[in-house]
Amino acid sequence: MRAPPAGRPRRKAKILIQEEIVPTAVRRQAAPRFREPVPTALVAELIEIADYITHMREAIAALRPNEMSRARIPMAHEELGSVVAATAGATNTIMEAAEAMLGLPDGPGYRAGVEARINTIFEACAFQDITGQRIAKVVEALQLFEGRLGRFVGAVKARDAADIDPAEQARRDRAQDLLLNGPQAVTETPSQDDIDALFA
Amino acid sequence: MGLELSMPILVVDDYQTMVRIIRNLLKQLGFEEVDDASDGTAALARLKARKYGLVISDWNMEPMTGYELLRHVRADETLRTTPFIMVTAESKTENVIAAKKAGVNNYIVKPFNAATLKAKIEAVCGS
Repeated sequence: MRAPPAGRPRRKAKILIQEEIVPTAVRRQAAPRFREPVPTALVAELIEIADYITHMREAIAALRPNEMSRARIPMAHEELGSVVAATAGATNTIMEAAEAMLGLPDGPGYRAGVEARINTIFEACAFQDITGQRIAKVVEALQLFEGRLGRFVGAVKARDAADIDPAEQARRDRAQDLLLNGPQAVTETPSQDDIDALFA
Repeated sequence: MGLELSMPILVVDDYQTMVRIIRNLLKQLGFEEVDDASDGTAALARLKARKYGLVISDWNMEPMTGYELLRHVRADETLRTTPFIMVTAESKTENVIAAKKAGVNNYIVKPFNAATLKAKIEAVCGS
């Protein structure tokens, strides 16, 4: 049990016990028994529980979970979706221009045709500026979330549960069985020469 | 180059952009008969319907991965000798070793260039 934070008024905790933890009907029914002195240790324990609940509520409120789920996370989804769409669109434009250049017939109009397609490619590359800004917004949201979550974990001394969600476990098992590791960090990726050496 | 340019090639990738890139590179190398499939299941169906001279496959696809496709191909009496090149972002050494054990002929890590693809095709299919 977490000790009540220093400086927290005990009166607040007592009010919580009376008004929220012990329902009114129960208090009325039990009232005659409480005329006798309540053990001090029990009172202290209840005060600690009430303090802990109050503290937990404050920690959860500081997470601003509603703001996260209603605004930040949907924004991140939308921005990343836009990045994927912009990247795909630009790639498509660039490839179409390149394929068109490959198909240009020799002749007097060849240079003008190539220049027109190159200009199209330059224009398409402008997507990188916009996607960079969109990704920066997502990174900012993630950093905010990371900071709040870190403070929450510290405040409630949270520990990870031993069990994980079955769907997540199934996903992990499949990834492990089929070696779905995804791209590695640039510094950890073996070169093509390293890989070729394994086939030598 | 010593390559049979008329041999059909099957490109397996769930990203159409990558299929398009590989198609264009193969076209530049002189290969005209190029089919594609978006995952291992679709690829297996194509492989059973037509004889291909080479399979170029990604690894990470749904529902059947390229690694599973490779194992199916090597386990199938009629397909087991089909040359198979993995072209993938899965760059962990354990992936390369697992693919080699499963019978892959060569392994290319994305992003790659035309020269690398050409060299691997020559190494696998060249006479």
